[in-house]
Amino acid sequence: MAVEIPKRLEDLPTSSPRWVGREVKRIEDPELLTGRTQFIDNVVLPGMLHCAILRSPLAHARVASIDVSAAEGMPEVAAVITGEDALRWSFPAASSPEGWGSHCLATDKVRFAGEPVAAVAATSRYVAEDALELIVVDYEPLEVVADARKATESESPLLFEERGTNVMLQRVFTWGEVEEVFREADHVFTEKFRWNRVGANPIETFGVISEWNPVDGSLTCRGSYQSPSFMGLGRSASLGLPSNKVRIISQPHGGSFGGKGGGRGTDITALLSRKAGGRPVKWIEDRMEYLTAGGSQAWDRQYQASLAVEPDGRVTGLKVELLDDLGATGEGFGSISAAKPLSAFTGPYTIGVAQYDLTLVATNKLPASPYRGMGPPPHNFVLEQMMDIAARSLGIDPAEMRRRNYIQPDQFPYTIPSGNEYDSGDYEAALDKVLEMAEYRELRRQQAEAREQGRHLGIGVASTIEPGVFDWNSYAIVGMPGVGVPEGATVSFDILGKVTVRVGFSLEGQGQYTLAAQLIGDYFGLEMEDVRVVALDTQSAPPHFGPGGSRLGVALTGAILGACERIKEKLVKLAAVLLQTEPGSVELMDGALRVKGMPEAAIPLAQVVGAMLARSDLLPPDVDPRPEATFVWTAPGRTPADEEGRAKSYLTAANACHVVLVEIDAETGKVEILKYLIADDCGTRLNPATVEGMTQGGVAQGVGAALLEEYVYDPEGQLLTSTFMDYLLPTIHEVPMTEKAALVTPSPFSPLGAKGCGEGAIHAAPAAVMCAVNDALAPLGVLATEVPATPNRLWKLIQGAKSLSPGD
Amino acid sequence: MKPAPFEYFDPKTVEEAVSLLREHGEDAKVLAGGQSLVPLLHMRMARPEALIDLSRVQGLEYIRETDGVLAIGAMTSKRAVERSGLVKRRQPLLHAATLLIAHPQIRNRGTVGGSMAHADPAAEYPAVALVLDAELRAVGPDGERTIKAGDFFVSYLTTALEPAEVLTEVRFPMPADGTGWAFREVSRRHGDFAMAGAAVTLSAEGAGRCTEARIVLFGVGPTPIRVHGAEQMLVGETLGQALLELAGHRASEDLDEPLSDVHASAEFRRHLAEVLTRRALAEAMARAGGG
Amino acid sequence: MVTTRKVHLTVNGVAHEAFVEPRMTLADFLRGELALVGTHVGCEHGVCGACTVLLDGRTVRACLMLAVQADGAELMTVEGLDEDGRLHPIQEAFLEEHGLQCGFCTPGFLLTVYELLADSPEPSDDAIMDALGGQICRCTGYQPILASVRLAAAKLRQGRAAGAA
Repeated sequence: MAVEIPKRLEDLPTSSPRWVGREVKRIEDPELLTGRTQFIDNVVLPGMLHCAILRSPLAHARVASIDVSAAEGMPEVAAVITGEDALRWSFPAASSPEGWGSHCLATDKVRFAGEPVAAVAATSRYVAEDALELIVVDYEPLEVVADARKATESESPLLFEERGTNVMLQRVFTWGEVEEVFREADHVFTEKFRWNRVGANPIETFGVISEWNPVDGSLTCRGSYQSPSFMGLGRSASLGLPSNKVRIISQPHGGSFGGKGGGRGTDITALLSRKAGGRPVKWIEDRMEYLTAGGSQAWDRQYQASLAVEPDGRVTGLKVELLDDLGATGEGFGSISAAKPLSAFTGPYTIGVAQYDLTLVATNKLPASPYRGMGPPPHNFVLEQMMDIAARSLGIDPAEMRRRNYIQPDQFPYTIPSGNEYDSGDYEAALDKVLEMAEYRELRRQQAEAREQGRHLGIGVASTIEPGVFDWNSYAIVGMPGVGVPEGATVSFDILGKVTVRVGFSLEGQGQYTLAAQLIGDYFGLEMEDVRVVALDTQSAPPHFGPGGSRLGVALTGAILGACERIKEKLVKLAAVLLQTEPGSVELMDGALRVKGMPEAAIPLAQVVGAMLARSDLLPPDVDPRPEATFVWTAPGRTPADEEGRAKSYLTAANACHVVLVEIDAETGKVEILKYLIADDCGTRLNPATVEGMTQGGVAQGVGAALLEEYVYDPEGQLLTSTFMDYLLPTIHEVPMTEKAALVTPSPFSPLGAKGCGEGAIHAAPAAVMCAVNDALAPLGVLATEVPATPNRLWKLIQGAKSLSPGD
Repeated sequence: MKPAPFEYFDPKTVEEAVSLLREHGEDAKVLAGGQSLVPLLHMRMARPEALIDLSRVQGLEYIRETDGVLAIGAMTSKRAVERSGLVKRRQPLLHAATLLIAHPQIRNRGTVGGSMAHADPAAEYPAVALVLDAELRAVGPDGERTIKAGDFFVSYLTTALEPAEVLTEVRFPMPADGTGWAFREVSRRHGDFAMAGAAVTLSAEGAGRCTEARIVLFGVGPTPIRVHGAEQMLVGETLGQALLELAGHRASEDLDEPLSDVHASAEFRRHLAEVLTRRALAEAMARAGGG
Repeated sequence: MVTTRKVHLTVNGVAHEAFVEPRMTLADFLRGELALVGTHVGCEHGVCGACTVLLDGRTVRACLMLAVQADGAELMTVEGLDEDGRLHPIQEAFLEEHGLQCGFCTPGFLLTVYELLADSPEPSDDAIMDALGGQICRCTGYQPILASVRLAAAKLRQGRAAGAA
């Protein structure tokens, strides 16, 4: 029986939603506020040991010998493992691209500074770290490959000798008659850009407790996992275990943003538990470990981009050449960040042809991981700077430049050259809204005045797409297989009419449990307190992925409403019997089952549920006695990617326009953000506070990426930014308080017309801030092409301009 | 990130502390507020066998005025300095510098003495001590002595304190009425260590002629640095914009190779030194003579 | 042989006595020995502020203190705010203004706000920002936290007025 997921709020069986779309208190919050939520480090198991990991001080070296006898001899030490154990009990981790993974502990060589070489399980973390100091490792240094471009050259030392190259992938994707368009273009603008490594840094690092069962060879892992099923599959492969013998229990966790990591930590603690006869082994990653060797780094990129532009500012073609330094292995799945830009390659613009010359290379740095936004934040930074470069050259105002290139509302669904389809949007409305909020003309006047006083004010206008609801086909070009990302939920009534929802993921911060309560509350006419959400482990959960790729709000809505529709069908059949009519005449509305057109002939929902469980004599033969249903939702209409990577991938396309006003102190290079305004459109806003929270959080990360955050390596592959003293997260002083306006252009394809919004503002913020910086610098004739725009970098640029200007 | 094991002592008197330091020699470290030392213990970059905690030593927490001097006990918290009305009124440069140190939670525990003894080149308090011509009192096996700020900061994280000496007090001479002052720094984020900073005191006559100038730059060398050359350019002159620019240039040129790190190159630090000197002098000038 | 020291301290009004290794941090002591797991560890070098607790009424980084340094002290952790599940007005304010998402940094913020509002019942936005400048949140972007603090100040003032009436 086909289930129709409601496409609009009006389709919900309620005359007026009390919860969905409104400001509600989060059901997760009281426990979080009182410190009761069970983050992984709160969990203590009987006989539990604590793990510490010995890490390579060198970025590239052979492991000649390793002596753990002194560590093993400590009475508080229960087990020590090395690469020998890894070879015996595990396989190289899955990677993307395939074939670029390694064991969880170095077996013959180390490929990045911080790579695990040995691990200890002891009675406390303190003692485990003492034991590490007794392990003696003999390294034979190898030449370090720290420069991405040099790593692509044929004479370069190799990280994986058997691969014969450091280049993990090199392909040019051509979508349309690119050469012809660029040949015939009136203007071609070309520029190079450098985006330095940044990354997730949730305030909670990764943590795990692994427990090996020696009797049946199964593994149970509790941890701060963003995607339990994905992690479980990965461990099944790396540890050579049947998939139904790996049980992943995801604890509520302190943020992830794609960069929690956890593969190696899980494998290492699993092996330690095995060696320790099955005792649980806990590892809590410390912050230095996270920064140096965790899921912490992303987007180490060198770009060259070209724009083909008509005299009136219409952009006819986009070429992007990207050298992406993925670090030592593909185990972090950082490669998918290079693939995701295909889902919105040409932004909100009607650019007809495009080309992507992509090189993924390995170097002796930390393997790159995903980070919120996945790849578009740097890509959009490049695209939006190119739009401004063209605008400045042609004498067109940057806002006008966007306006002349927007896809129009009547052109949706719109297929972009790289293959994805945007569902809906009104980009000009967002632009108009934010320009109005910003009093844009007045800002330009203020800027002109300031310039006369010798001050450097800049205004940035950035317009971006946030693809929502990811699909595996988005990453086909880096070898990820499959189409469709299922998300399942089980909705279950008890005999008294209260509801439990069972899902496969745990809390991460986006308020999905609250969303579940909102949806079920409105669907069945319940209070939010009548709904409780329970996270199941991978052994019992329905198919799921969990949060990621701005999908879960939409996917969970689909799963829950699908389950609700199935329950409704059963309830309608039973209610028809109770109301002595045909099922076709019965409807669910405002928490009651009633005869259509006769609202007084109604039975409260709880009564029907109770009857289902307590009056088997009344049940029709084709209704099973369970007021419960499971529904697994996948995005409709997804297609496999073709040879050029084109596919209908991300289901929804939210959009936003950011306007930023900055002032640069030319003497110190410091950038102050004076104003920050946002108009965003993510379709139906299921929980407005959640959307605003995602937006403001994305702005903070985007500002951090643009101005503060950078992982710096020296030529020997040593990380110079290995603490929070040097990797600088924005504080309340650095993050602008933003003015936000919401537009709503529902998706015609998604549940309730909602679009994914979890990554939102980070897609636009770095681009917007850098557009403002470059707008401020424009009169000096210089362009900031490297991110982050640190005071030192900006000062050097400005100095360069001064030395060139005549008559100083 | 857990410390290596150590023995812990919490002496109740300065003499006891000195005795313990003597006994353990190089294997001992003094614990004051711990905001600088404890992270080093966690990273095992500091591995003392004995940790001598001064927080139970009586009589080292006070802020008082005596004989034209502001005397602050070495174990006085930076937060106490921040909240002291006496400091705000009579040593405004010290007050202003305190507000720039890290964040309230760090200032609650961090101590005046700890900051001086740790001698981080980018820290605020050593620069304050140098510009205000402070005296630091220490007690050791041979008794008590006074060390002038100019002699106290020897090199990177190194002071004139002998291994068994304990810093007990810092004495800041009260500035004369009408002394202008400024304390400025450029850092990546609010509260971070300075990439470069300038501390200035200035005295001027009625006609705006400078009678005395003290300029200290910090964050640009292994210790805070008095830039005498730039100071001498100002004495006896009326401070106009052109002279401030020259002084800034001179201060910057007189620096030996400044530090270079991920946040700022040596070249950039040298440039910031010039900018901050000029801006701090202008600010101090505006305050001088009761302005 | 590992030498231990005896420490007496009061946490959230309850007296505790324990033997600890000198190198044990206050954060690990609270979480491990006393099972007060609401204090979270984010960086162990004093920058993120997640581990912030009140010691003798002042905010401190529990990761930068040794448990032995807290001997004789009175501490408050996040567990000391709610009364048997009934939220403190500061917690209520964060709930109403959505001042948290993942909640990991939240206990440190709550106690920092507690200290701020005890010192300044009507803080300006600048004063709020100065007080919170050392607490890092990666989820919210701080704007809802600022709103939460303003509301918390109002709630506490209301509560005092009601109490005085």
